[in-house]
Amino acid sequence: MSRILTVARWELRRTKSSFSLKTRFLSFIILILIGMSSFFAAQSGLHINDNIYRIAVTDPSLARVLESDDKFEVHVAGDSNAKSLFENEGFDILINGAQISYHDTDKSLSALDAIDKAIKGYDEARLLSYNDLNNTFPVWITIKNIAREQAFHTPSINTLPQIEKSHVKSTASPEAQKQGIEKIPEKPSGNTPSIKEITEIKKVSLISGQSLATPSHFDPPVPFKSVVLSFIFIFPIYFIAQFFSSSIMDERIKRKGELLLVSPVNAYQIVLGKLLPYLLGSMALVAIMTLNLGGSPWIILIMLPVSLMFLSTSFLGAIIARSFKELSFVLIFLSVFLSGYIFFPAMFANIHAISIISPITLVVRLLENEVVSVSDYLFSTTPLYLLSILIFVFGIFIYREEDLFTQKSIKEKLLDSIQEFIKRVPFPLFSLSIALLPLVFSIQLMLIVLMFNFPIRIGIFFFIIVAAFIEELIKSGGIYTVFSRKMADVTTANALKFAVLSGLGFFAGEKLLLLVVVASIAGSAFGSVMGIGLLVFPLLLHVTSTISSSLAIRYLGHREYLACVVIASMVHAAYNLYLVRGVVFG
Amino acid sequence: MANTGVIVKKEIGSLLNEKTLLLAIIVQLLIASFSSLIVIGLASFFDPSSLSKYDSPRADVGIVGQGELARFIKDSQVNPHYYADIVSARSDFDNNKIDAIVVIPDEDPGGKEIINLVIYLPKSDIRGTFVTLQLKKPLEEYEGYVRDMRGQRIGFEPIRLYVDNIPEKTSTYFEFIYGILIPLLVFTPVFISGGLIIDMLTEEYERKTMDLLLVSPVSFSQIVNGKMITAIIIVPAQAFLWLLLLRLNGVIVYNIGFILLLCAIIAAIVVILGAIIAIRYKKRMISQYLYSLVLILMFLVGYIFTNSPFNLVTRLGANSIGAEVLVYCGGYAAVAIGLYAGMVRFQISGSD
Repeated sequence: MSRILTVARWELRRTKSSFSLKTRFLSFIILILIGMSSFFAAQSGLHINDNIYRIAVTDPSLARVLESDDKFEVHVAGDSNAKSLFENEGFDILINGAQISYHDTDKSLSALDAIDKAIKGYDEARLLSYNDLNNTFPVWITIKNIAREQAFHTPSINTLPQIEKSHVKSTASPEAQKQGIEKIPEKPSGNTPSIKEITEIKKVSLISGQSLATPSHFDPPVPFKSVVLSFIFIFPIYFIAQFFSSSIMDERIKRKGELLLVSPVNAYQIVLGKLLPYLLGSMALVAIMTLNLGGSPWIILIMLPVSLMFLSTSFLGAIIARSFKELSFVLIFLSVFLSGYIFFPAMFANIHAISIISPITLVVRLLENEVVSVSDYLFSTTPLYLLSILIFVFGIFIYREEDLFTQKSIKEKLLDSIQEFIKRVPFPLFSLSIALLPLVFSIQLMLIVLMFNFPIRIGIFFFIIVAAFIEELIKSGGIYTVFSRKMADVTTANALKFAVLSGLGFFAGEKLLLLVVVASIAGSAFGSVMGIGLLVFPLLLHVTSTISSSLAIRYLGHREYLACVVIASMVHAAYNLYLVRGVVFG
Repeated sequence: MANTGVIVKKEIGSLLNEKTLLLAIIVQLLIASFSSLIVIGLASFFDPSSLSKYDSPRADVGIVGQGELARFIKDSQVNPHYYADIVSARSDFDNNKIDAIVVIPDEDPGGKEIINLVIYLPKSDIRGTFVTLQLKKPLEEYEGYVRDMRGQRIGFEPIRLYVDNIPEKTSTYFEFIYGILIPLLVFTPVFISGGLIIDMLTEEYERKTMDLLLVSPVSFSQIVNGKMITAIIIVPAQAFLWLLLLRLNGVIVYNIGFILLLCAIIAAIVVILGAIIAIRYKKRMISQYLYSLVLILMFLVGYIFTNSPFNLVTRLGANSIGAEVLVYCGGYAAVAIGLYAGMVRFQISGSD
């Protein structure tokens, strides 16, 4: 332990010293500029679609109304001029008096819709300025959101046979209601408001909040603001993870790390020691942000596995990359993937129960003053905890001279770490399948989220094929390593033995995971594809499909590994397709 | 010049060799699919008309109370069920028989008081979303109806425009594809290239190979220029690939030539900035950190003014601006040249 702390202290001193006073000052200035421009963006709105539509108008007063929306480039012209602009100059819309003409193109139709919205917004702002709610906004809706027993799937698949409803009880109290009344911006009475006044009111959003709304603001509860806010929590983690990987890469390139490796300190002590300052640093920053934003302290606990996940992947990236360029690309790739995994489901926080696979959804819920239960926490964080620990373990296996200071390819380094695993762990192939299961689980959860956006039949079909491929890749990875690294004789008997072990391990891991995570997805069509819910058939399936890839490696040779995995995936996917044939084929 | 060419060749060779460009393309693919999933998924929630393309089933809605609103709901997409009181409606709601309850008060549309409706929705349930979408239209119609009656009292006259046979229309997809997706796809390679030049330069410093290069016949500025040219020219190439892919997906992007010109100019600005940072700080950790900060700043600034690069690409792609764009291109090119001139002066004074 004291050795870990020593390494941690060195690391901290090293990082600190690379930030000169000038650098800190410069970054402080840039941060202020960032703050100023985001304030400006919040005030004046994003000018993304400025002047995207070109409109010819004959009535100057209408032109002023439309010009209040930056999307329109408005030209006022006489009858014939306006007409020729519309017909010959590619203008999208012609408004002659009060009569609109449009082209039959996507852009023109979309411009029509935008005009519709702009006029509605303008009218609402004008109504609001009357300061007479009873006559201008006569209809109000109080929305009561009530938790009830929920069906897992979208309404469109309810009509399909063979899917039974899941029995997920919502954890929130049944009468949980939200009833906050938003203040409506009041304006001093003035009977004929100028256009400028009106546009100013419009920019301040009229009525926000979901619990009380007028019909035009009666929208599904998308927690867009909270998601944007939760991005602030991730922000420091990105930077800290970048420093961590830079530091590791730096030692590899300057070969400073060699000295530590020959010292009595273990590889795992070095790695943990180096990790410690960055982990604590990122959590401290998250804590500061939480306090400043007035969020619940539980947010810090929720962000812990997220921080671990980013740090572990940048650690592995820094170990396997051969150059700075490679490191950058690997890190960009991993952080885009991870951000997708954690942010994408959060957008659906109030819409679908599956969204809690992402810890950010829990943050969003806390920000919206909702309850998060312990089982929610376990469900969304267990995969991340397991996965980041796994990545660290595999990284530590190859934290040694021959991998750190040589130009091995990424694939060879990954195989090195699997080889180390097989050498060091009892019942290696059995355990390897169990250990890699969180990886499979996380990728599959990600896939589920992506597939929800396709029509359900196509979604399930693709999910089955991709999921099978991933499972087979993981199950046969160990066998491939053993055969390609000549750790055992390439015989049929060995191939069979390894396949059975690996398949058994995967099956056991799957059931273990089921115990840890009370999967609310069990029972839905996607759940049964993931093999949760049945016993005998999944066991047979995992063993048979692994045997097919194992035998294929034995006879085709390990150079044809990809083909072997494809063969096994076909076996696997065929079985699963049969299982959900009712959904996929109708 | 020939020496610069040698450096360019070497750098492109190493990029192709490391297959890292492949990762960059996958990154873009991920960004594209995430953003389109989020926006198309969410935007369609806000835009019921775009959902009507799908044959979504009619939602079952319980109605308690009488009034004009019941008539609007009856004419809409939902299946109304009538209840005498809230208790019986709640019991069907809790048993998943209906997905929403609308409680209509006794207030008269022609009266003076606010009409306060109460709507019960299932919490965190996709069905609640669907019901919301389907109820929105009759509610808006009802609001218009009441407002028409009451608005006269205060002399409010809504703006009325007329159009022959109203078409199916939505601006969501169009504005997303041209306003967000296309600029994002065109500029992601730009941001990546800025990081790339930092990696190329700092690696030479940190591996101490810069000294070796400098004793060869190539000069320092030739090395830097060669690396910068590499980082810049791969940008329009990647952007072109993306625009081509969009074309295959049926999205027509106009003015591709101008778009590529603009993104090459912006790439030059970003890459020169990256190079200045890398030469000044020489360490990857610090350089990348400062570059990330600058990048965030540029990204934000790019969204807050008209005629920003993002906005220009949007308008070019949607054919809302033509050759006038060359004026702005010239402006941005002047920024790039100014930066380069600054860098050259700075190198002479601070090259060691």
